[in-house]
Amino acid sequence: MKTMKPRFYHTIAILFLLFSFTTAGAAPDGRWIMEQVDERDDGDNMEVDSEMILIDKNGNERRREMKVFSKDKGKDTLKLSVFLAPADVRDTGLLTHDYYSGDKDDDQWLYLPDLRKTKRIATSDKSSSFMGSDFSYADITRRVLDEWNYKLLKESDVDGHKVWLVEAVPISKEVENRYGFKKSILFVRQDIFMEIRAIHVLQDGNKVKYMEVKKLEEIDGIWVATEKWMKTTKNKKSLHNTKLLWNNVKFNQDLDETFFSVRQLEKGL
Amino acid sequence: MRSRHLARSLGLLLVFLLCSCQSLQADELESLMGGFDDEASSGSDNELEELLGGFSEEESEQQEVLPGSDPFLPQWLTLQGSLSLQSTINFAHSAPDPGQPDYRGLSMFRGHGELIAEASFSKWKARIGGTAFYDAAYQLNGQRDLYTDKYLSEYEDELELNEAYLKGSLSDNIDLKLGRQIVVWGKSDNLRVTDILNPLDRRYPGMLDIRYQRLPVTMTRLDYFWDSWNINAMLIHEPRFDKLTRYNGEFFPGTKPAPRLENPDWDWDNQQAGVALNGIFSGWDLSFYAASVFQERAHLEIDPAGTPYRTRDRATMVGTAGNIVLGSWLIKGEAAYWDGLKYSNVADEKSRFDVLAGVEYMGFSDTTIAFEIANRRILDHDPLLKNLPDGQREDWTQYALRFVRDFMNDTLHLTGIVSSFGLLGAEGGFERFQLDYDISDNITVMGGVVFYESGDYPGFQDIGSNDRLLFELEYRF
Repeated sequence: MKTMKPRFYHTIAILFLLFSFTTAGAAPDGRWIMEQVDERDDGDNMEVDSEMILIDKNGNERRREMKVFSKDKGKDTLKLSVFLAPADVRDTGLLTHDYYSGDKDDDQWLYLPDLRKTKRIATSDKSSSFMGSDFSYADITRRVLDEWNYKLLKESDVDGHKVWLVEAVPISKEVENRYGFKKSILFVRQDIFMEIRAIHVLQDGNKVKYMEVKKLEEIDGIWVATEKWMKTTKNKKSLHNTKLLWNNVKFNQDLDETFFSVRQLEKGL
Repeated sequence: MRSRHLARSLGLLLVFLLCSCQSLQADELESLMGGFDDEASSGSDNELEELLGGFSEEESEQQEVLPGSDPFLPQWLTLQGSLSLQSTINFAHSAPDPGQPDYRGLSMFRGHGELIAEASFSKWKARIGGTAFYDAAYQLNGQRDLYTDKYLSEYEDELELNEAYLKGSLSDNIDLKLGRQIVVWGKSDNLRVTDILNPLDRRYPGMLDIRYQRLPVTMTRLDYFWDSWNINAMLIHEPRFDKLTRYNGEFFPGTKPAPRLENPDWDWDNQQAGVALNGIFSGWDLSFYAASVFQERAHLEIDPAGTPYRTRDRATMVGTAGNIVLGSWLIKGEAAYWDGLKYSNVADEKSRFDVLAGVEYMGFSDTTIAFEIANRRILDHDPLLKNLPDGQREDWTQYALRFVRDFMNDTLHLTGIVSSFGLLGAEGGFERFQLDYDISDNITVMGGVVFYESGDYPGFQDIGSNDRLLFELEYRF
């Protein structure tokens, strides 16, 4: 009887270890992987011609064209986007000061040409759609690392490249509400520490969003997703798709910090 | 023995739960991964293969990102504009007195066009734009002969020069903008306290598209920028005022035409001026304003022949506005002090203090809700001011509630606006609800309804029977 007890606990321990290994193997933990993703060189002083193709479930397409500029300011990111088309949003501009620290909300201003006015936007909520696309503001701004708990789920292959599948769960209900994601599963390429796929389980009833990088290019030594697709599904049925294309990507442009100002936002291109 | 049994059972239960957990987790993961378009990432599980069969296997195609310019125009020139058909149908008027226009039924059937040309040369940009409309409703409803020529000249057709300016940078810190332009002061979106530089088109209370509501004015504007601050100074050359409702129209509050109006001439003595200091900081903004402008509201004078006429005197305004972001809330505040205001019923000039508070909530996805409240108080108020034609109480309080929500990936837009003098429209107001649907990138159709509330606020005394349905089909290019 006395010998039975330790043997029993040994069995439990071995099973537990087996469980752990089958889940995570001997790979690094999720947090470490996401730190590498966060620290990856994604370029600086960037200028890009961007196009979003919005496709509804009937295949009808709408297009949004914009010019995007971005610059690093320490760990923060300054971004200015000016819409070129279609006509009803032409000259609309969005200026974002994306703060790395989660202690501070991003600053965001929207220039509305119909009103000839720049409006400050309360950015706390990131779940809203970005200009009608399947990308939300959460998808186009940097995630605060500390606001998520990460867990490595498994390793896999995508297009012949080894990836880690990392689950990201908000640390609190407040974070979940702000991003609109119950959780995400991020596919991180092991060789370049880049997210090439993501699954976002939304708060909004049974909706799941799928992000896929369809085209990846190395430009000036920096890996850039020049084509990204985002698909919104409900109960596994596709509701809407967005293709985000980047063309003429240029790094190390002569962009001064003063360029990322309300003055420039109102001036336009 | 029993405890060993219990421990073993608990242990097996734990193992079972762990395995179930893992299995559930794996199932959920596989199920989620089935959403991608191809099979590469998701293992070879049969269930997964089945799931993948339901998805397209669309491959990326090379797509060229086109710059937003027209291939038929030179690179430095862009053309944009719109064509629209606008219609309104009144449903609350009663039958007219004999000889008076019948406002029931079709009240607008208007073709409207706008054309804007923009040229860019280095750091300079020039823009010129104009609008035109023709309203066929007066012919179609057989009422044209019952309207005065003055009314028809304002409401039946119009050709108008809008913004026409040259703008650019004189140095790294100084911008210049010269010409007919719109300058928006203040932080509020619905009620005006410090936003005083451009007049408004008020011919259709509560109905006009915001982009045509502000009327551009000719001015020279200089901006100087340093750090988080900028100062802008402007000399306003063109005395331009609100477009108001006309006698003979359904929105006109009186039963006879207003006395003739003598606006200030466009000359050197009648230059107006404004200066603003704006600070933009992380999480908050602050502005200070000062202006010497002609009063928007005209007052009565008597000419040497004893005939009353309306005119405008100069008044000064100093004000401030700010906003601050708190989470998903945007808090706004404005205040303005006016001095030198002239009224018809009293000889001495008056001062007025206007204050506004507002909140905007952006915490719901694709939704904005804004509420603003403004109070305007005439200091040292004289009871004579309550009488017509002034009709001014010591203070008025105005409320505005605006709700905007986008549906279906920004193709359907619901807007609700409630604007009220006094609570629940007690002293006049309107409620407007509209749905805009984007048929394509360039074509939008709109349907809506406006309800009016009569009250004591000047201009709103008999407005209540103007409830109407709105329709618009617009093509923008």
